[in-house]
Amino acid sequence: MASKIRLLVTAAGLAILGSVAAASEGPLVTTEWLQENLENPEIRLLEVSVNPGVYERGHIPGATNIVWHTDLVDPVRRDIASKDQLQSILRDAGVNADSTIILYGDTNNWFAAWGAWVLDVYGVENVKLLDGGRALWEAEGRQLSTSPLALAAGNIELGEADPALRAKLAEVVDAVESESHVIVDIRSPDEYSGKIIAPEGFKETAIRAGHVSGAVNVPWSQAVQEDGRFKSPEDLKALYAEAGVDGSKPVITYCRIGERSSHTWFALSKILGYDVKNYDGSWTEYGNAVGVPVTNLAGTIWTGR
Amino acid sequence: MPLTSRPLVAAAAIAALIAILLSLPERDALGRSLPVSFALGAGFGLVLQRSRFCFWCIARDWFADRDPRGLLGIIAALAVGAIGYAAVFGAWLPDPFAGRLPPDAHIGPVSLTLALGAFVFGIGMALSGSCISAHLYRLGEGAFGSVVALLGALAGFVLGFLSWNTLYLLDIHRARVIWLSAWLGHSGALAATLAVLGATALWLSRQPGAEAQDPPDPRPALARRWPAVVGGILVGWIAVLAYFRVGPLGVTAELGSVARTSAMAVGLLPTVLHGLDGFAGCATVVKETLLSRNGVFVIGMVLGSTVAATLAGDWKPAWPGLRAVPRLLLGGVLLGWGAMVALGCTVGVLLSGIMAGALSGWIFLLACLAGAWIGWRARNWATGG
Repeated sequence: MASKIRLLVTAAGLAILGSVAAASEGPLVTTEWLQENLENPEIRLLEVSVNPGVYERGHIPGATNIVWHTDLVDPVRRDIASKDQLQSILRDAGVNADSTIILYGDTNNWFAAWGAWVLDVYGVENVKLLDGGRALWEAEGRQLSTSPLALAAGNIELGEADPALRAKLAEVVDAVESESHVIVDIRSPDEYSGKIIAPEGFKETAIRAGHVSGAVNVPWSQAVQEDGRFKSPEDLKALYAEAGVDGSKPVITYCRIGERSSHTWFALSKILGYDVKNYDGSWTEYGNAVGVPVTNLAGTIWTGR
Repeated sequence: MPLTSRPLVAAAAIAALIAILLSLPERDALGRSLPVSFALGAGFGLVLQRSRFCFWCIARDWFADRDPRGLLGIIAALAVGAIGYAAVFGAWLPDPFAGRLPPDAHIGPVSLTLALGAFVFGIGMALSGSCISAHLYRLGEGAFGSVVALLGALAGFVLGFLSWNTLYLLDIHRARVIWLSAWLGHSGALAATLAVLGATALWLSRQPGAEAQDPPDPRPALARRWPAVVGGILVGWIAVLAYFRVGPLGVTAELGSVARTSAMAVGLLPTVLHGLDGFAGCATVVKETLLSRNGVFVIGMVLGSTVAATLAGDWKPAWPGLRAVPRLLLGGVLLGWGAMVALGCTVGVLLSGIMAGALSGWIFLLACLAGAWIGWRARNWATGG
């Protein structure tokens, strides 16, 4: 009897390990997979939604709330969250060194993708995105919870930030001049061409219109299907190859504040395996910087309005 | 005696309620359910109308007759709401000391401007005969004078926006957002709130006016007024359901948005209103979509009140006399200005704030009562009373 029970327990354990292993084969998990693995103690689910009250009024059961504006960025200087800040947030969320982290969020998973990028910068392994994000989970009518969580503190330790995953202004300017990288502008064609400086309603903007000279334009939304899931790796490969991004040269992605470009960073780096840096300063830094190479196809002149 | 005086009006209002409910989009831009907001608005309008939950009437009953029944109704609403909010907060923000505020809750900045706005709002109530929420439910009773007051409120909002930047630089910028739970914990804040409400209720119920009785009402039970305490308990419930599913109760966000969007469109307002969009309260965003959760809530309120009023025989279409128009208009302007600079009114700041443990709610309550009292004295003096 005892041996039977042990066998069952072992089998269950293997089943759990097996399913986590299945998930760790790729950088994305499906909503079906997540549904089946909600009770799995190896996974830690983090919601990064940018709109207030979204997490609280119903989140995927077991998810911890990560607030982008304070948890994933430095609230004082413009920077990613510091190592200590992020480590303590992850430990509070019960993340252990061997946990599999699954991120998801509202607004097309942009901010969740930023989370995946920042975790990558600090060397956290086994970080995945829920494909389709919160919108798909809701559209499929899956359950949401409002119950409070009581997770035991985790033991994860972050490494030092890896500069290889993050482009700073000087590197971007160097890359333009030396043509060492392909630079991908993932904003809308109107922002890229300089017809507009920023989409309507955004207060953080720049005093120059246009794009980083030499950058190619592949709007982030071209990487996803209608339901918000990423396109297949083959389709993504073809999409970016058409714009001259084929992995033969290292890549730099940017947008307006660096969150949408995290989404494209994820596609290029995690799904296609290219060498990619995200430039989180993006247009709100570059378009305000003095003396950097800018291409302004539309010729819009900033007049302070 | 028939239950309804106007079966056609009642049927039209019910048909409109159902038609709108079925045709609303599922969600707004933030993912909140518009049909739920609309239905809660209808319920709110119905309860306000049936229980005469009108802050000015309640204040006047107290000033003139020392009749505390309406005030006890408000206390019941606050107590039920505070308990419900605490239950929600416990789930949403288990640790209130972490330096975060619960999402969306109307925990506003405590400033001199808040007190001034609430005081002016109180005078506006006395002058126009209602607060904004009561003007909305009065519309459902056919009191078209409320249209004049609400138009005045729109103009008042525009004046509020025009004075905002000055007030912000002089005063509001240094205001602190004070949330009782961050000081006392969830249970401590709830206990303190209930203790103050309980002590006030005890004192009020010992006042001579507490024994007042309404004359016997021969109408069927459904047509009679609901006791204020019953109305209060239901208002508390609706407030909690609304916070849980859609957002805190409030009735001025949409009015303010309409005022701000129209005034901006004609270039009347400065392009930047400092700090305004960062504060919690009845945020008055520039309108980007036709249907907002607060807009459908207010429409639901008016229709819900119409149904209640017509079924109970309270539907009495009446146009204001020409001589009343200036008073209604000026009262409305004061309501609008006060609600703008205080970031909400008796519903959004007073009810939703106190329930959430916001000091701003209590400040609004006291300053608004003071303004209402001054207004009441002034009206008595003007009418030689």
